[in-house]
Parts: sequence; structure tokens; C-alpha cells
Amino acid sequence: MTGSGIRFIAPLLVLMVVAFNAPIVYMLGLAFWEKGRGFTLEHYEGLLETPVYLRVLGNTMRIALIATIANVVIGYPLAHWMRGLGSRARMIAIALVVLPFWVSILVRTYAWIVVLGNGGLVNRFLQWTGLTDAPVSFLYNELGVTIGMANVLLPFLVLPLFATMIRIDDRLLQAAASLGAPPRTIFWKVYFPLTLPALAAGALLVFILCLGFYVTPAVLGGGRVPMISNLLDTLINQIPRWEQASAISTILLIVTLLIFAAYRRLDRKASA
Amino acid sequence: MKRRTFVGAAASLPAVSILSGTARAQSKEIRMIESGGASGESIQKGYIDPLFQKTGIKVVRESPSSLGKLRALVESGQTSTTLFELGSGIVLQAKKLGLIEKMDWAAINPAPMFPEAKNEYGFGYSYFSTIMAWRKGAKEPQNFTEFFDSKAFPGKRCLPDFPHYCLPFALQAAGVPIDKLFPLDVDLAFKKLNEVKKDVAVWWKAGAQPPQLMKDNEVQYSICWSGRVVGDPAFGLSFAGGKADLSFIAVVKGSKPEDKAAANKLFYEMSLPENQAKAAEVISYTGPSPELDALLPKDKLWQFPTSKQNKAVQYFENAEWWAENGEAVNKKWEAFKLSL
Repeated sequence: MTGSGIRFIAPLLVLMVVAFNAPIVYMLGLAFWEKGRGFTLEHYEGLLETPVYLRVLGNTMRIALIATIANVVIGYPLAHWMRGLGSRARMIAIALVVLPFWVSILVRTYAWIVVLGNGGLVNRFLQWTGLTDAPVSFLYNELGVTIGMANVLLPFLVLPLFATMIRIDDRLLQAAASLGAPPRTIFWKVYFPLTLPALAAGALLVFILCLGFYVTPAVLGGGRVPMISNLLDTLINQIPRWEQASAISTILLIVTLLIFAAYRRLDRKASA
Repeated sequence: MKRRTFVGAAASLPAVSILSGTARAQSKEIRMIESGGASGESIQKGYIDPLFQKTGIKVVRESPSSLGKLRALVESGQTSTTLFELGSGIVLQAKKLGLIEKMDWAAINPAPMFPEAKNEYGFGYSYFSTIMAWRKGAKEPQNFTEFFDSKAFPGKRCLPDFPHYCLPFALQAAGVPIDKLFPLDVDLAFKKLNEVKKDVAVWWKAGAQPPQLMKDNEVQYSICWSGRVVGDPAFGLSFAGGKADLSFIAVVKGSKPEDKAAANKLFYEMSLPENQAKAAEVISYTGPSPELDALLPKDKLWQFPTSKQNKAVQYFENAEWWAENGEAVNKKWEAFKLSL
């Protein structure tokens, strides 16, 4: 059976390896191999000598973590609320969550300028109500980047979470209630553990996507929130130091894989 | 496209020698990668259209033009793109990396040009300035010391997210006169930038950002490209202490001789002052002909980077210094950005 299966996927496999994997391996190899000079570790040594690039990577991790937490705080209650809706209201809610997928990320990001800018809707409302005198700076800082990233990535968390929540049998919750558990206990002892794997998977997906974000930090960060993909853009397109970029990409890839491995371990422990 | 099918057909025919003989003389279509936007349109209207009318040679434009793209083009060994737009500092870098060809000035035989535009490795086709501008109604600074003084000139600033723009302006704010800027005192420049960074709301990457941000009242003062703000009543501006720079078009390494021959025809068109005047109608940047000023509208002379009153108050980009020190400064720049 495996033998015949291979034959069917072979064309796709060849396409993936030739068009996708081979160029990536070549790109990553650039950091180790220089034309006419052979093997070198100089680009990694360079990274250790001037750790500013590694600090940008650390900054990226931190912002990705904040954006992921924001996503969880907004996304979990939203998915839970959608579970309790009637079927028609639920369809509408799903459509509203999915809708941003069909709008270009650039348009969505620029839309935030209209909403959150100094002369934007929110600031005009705040000043009209007299809550603030001067405009609040929502944009061109980490707050703006976090809001933008949370908005773009919310469906990635909400959809898998909602799919898991809707499959939870109501009778489990009723059984817990009939045994005298108060709602809070039911939630934390029964409901939440059942949704935890989906929550972890969704959060991990969001976190990894955050690591590679380019447009949102560039537009909403006002150039004040250095993230790794913007740095890579400089190194690849402007300087162009592909070898250095390749070394940084390799480190980014390894860190991402480590996080993924840690998650798999936790997941296996949880399901065992 | 057409050329490639033609060459392909020629190779498969027995009469190769005759056909390829005529093909080598000159291509009927070449490709150019330029920076896009209004400056791309100015190339089209000023130089590409007249070339087509005179010779029937077509030039297809693509954008944008980053040095990384040029490196990828050359290293992959492709020869479909002949011309590439580069900044003055980038020409030196590209030359060092072996990505561009020497210019054949004898074959181009250009009309008279300013000497700095007639580079060994590129055709300096467009002077542009980086200057201070402000939203109408804001208090008007006279120089960069005042521009960066947020106590006397309150408001948010928008600066370029590139060290080779910001550092010389910061030095001017620290009191260095424009004829003593180079070699740059990098530490002093960063010291000044650290003092003023709290007033900078946005560090821009795209030239369209600063005018838009000033219109939206997100920022009140910007350092931006002159062509984006001159002639717009929403802004005030001054060329004082600004940076005059030159954009180049270079020939991609390994281009075919017949493509180069066609490119040289375009370079000739680019050297003609009457064509440069047409290009200046599209964008307020100027070509390298010393006779150009006479052909430009008198009432608009104040808008152009090279008109006499503007050229005198600006400094000229020192591409050699940046080619030497650019990468080291860039690391410091990234560290500075982390401290924002």
C-alpha cells in the first residue's frame, strides 16, 4: 500500500523538492559556503560579535508572544460565545471572522491608520467625549503593531478553537452539573481541558506566523519596531548581504523548530 | 517576449548566420528595471517614447529596483534585463560586486553632460534632493538646527529609515557646516539622533509616506524627497542644508551586445536637454544637461534640485564614503533602532 501511495504523490513530491525545498537549502547553505573560498563559519561568528541582529530576533520573539497572548485573550471568549449562538447567528459570526481573509492584508493594515490615527475615528471619539485632551498614540509603536497583528491572525486561532468547542458534548457539562459542580468548576475542570489542545495548536500557529510578519510592523510600527523580517529585507534587498541573511534565517528556523518540538512534547504528554 | 521567440526561431533555422548577423546589430526590444512611480513615468515620457518614435526600439519597464534583485539577476546568469536603476552609492557597491558593465561612452556619444553624471559605470540621469518640509501652518525652520529643535518648533517629525539620509542632517543640527560633513562624525550624529528620537513619530521606508503623514496631521515636520512635496500648497519646504543626489541607470553585467547597442541609443536620448525638459514635466527632478535650465519654465525653477539658488545651499552625496563605511554604519543604525 505504501508503495503504490508513493507513486501517486511522487509528482507533487518532486515539485516540492525542486521548486521549494532545494532553493531554501541553497539559500541556507550560502552562509556556510562561499564561492572560491569553500566552507566558512565567518557569518555566524559575525553574528556573535555584533549581537544587534540577535537582539532584533529577541525583540521579534517578544512581540510575537505579546500578539499571541492578545489573540488568545480575544479569541477564546469569542469562539466560546460563537458556540452558544443559534445556527443562523453562528453562520453570521463565522462569516464575520472569516471575512478579513478575503481582504488584502495591506488594505486591512492601512485601515487601522484610519481608525487609530491621531485624526482617526477612535481619537476623535475620545476627544469628543472629553476623555482625553490630546490624541492618544495608538500607532507607530508596539501597541499599533500588536493590534494589527492580532487582527490579521485572529481567524487562525478562532477557527480551530471553534471547531473543537462545537464538538464538545453538552451532556458532559450537564453530567458535571448534575454532580453538583458550580459553573466555574465545570469550565475549568471539564470544558477548558477539552479545548486546551486546540488552543495550544492555534496559539502556536499564530506565534510562528507572527515571527515572519513583515507588512504590519512596517506600516503600523512606523519604523520604530524592528522585527526580523524587516531586517532580512534590508540585508537581502539593500545591502545585499545574503550570507548574513542566510545565517539569521537559519537561526530563526532552528528556534521555530525548537518551539514546535517543545509543543509536540507537551501535546504528547497531555494526551498520554 | 518578441525578441526571445525571434532568437529561438533563428537558432532553429538553417540560415542562422544571416539572421543572427542582423540581430546582433541591435535589439528591437529591451527591458529596464527602475524604481517605479512618477520617476518611472518621467523616463517613459522623457526618453522611452522619443526613442521609440525615432528608432522603433521598445523599452519595457519593470519596478522596483533593489540591489538584491540585481545580484539575483546576475548570479542566475539571465540576460533578459539590460538596464537597471541604481542610487549613487549603490553604483559603487554594484561595481565592487561585479554586477554592472562599464559604460561605452564613445558609442553613446552623448550631448554635453555634468561630469559627475558621466560615470564610468552608469548614466546619471536624474538629480533629486532630500529636504526639510512641513505641514502648512507649522512654524517654519530656517536650518536643521531649528528643524530638530522641538521646543521652539513643536510637532512630531518623520525621518527616513536610512542612515545615509539621517546622519548628515543630524550633524548639521549639531552645528557641522555642510562643506565639512564628510568624513562623517558617526558618533556625534548618533548622539544628536538619540537626543531627538523622542520627537520622531515615524521612520519612513517609502517616499510616499511623509507627504501623506503630514496631510493626515500625524506628523508636522518631515525630511523627504523634494519631488514629493514641491508645488503642493499643503506643504512648506526649504532646500537649505538639503542633500542633492543623482540617480543612475547602469547596464546589467553579461547583457548581450545587441541589447547594449539598443541601450546606448536610449542613453543618447537621455542626454538631450529637450528630452530632459519633458521628463521634468512629470516629476520635479532634473537631468544632467548644463543647458537644461534655459528650457525649464521660469516660474518653476525654484522647485528643481539643480537650479542655481537650490544647488548652492545643498551638499552633494559622498557615495565613496558610504561605499567604504556603509555596512559598519548600518549595524550601528540597527542598534540605534532597537533603542527607540
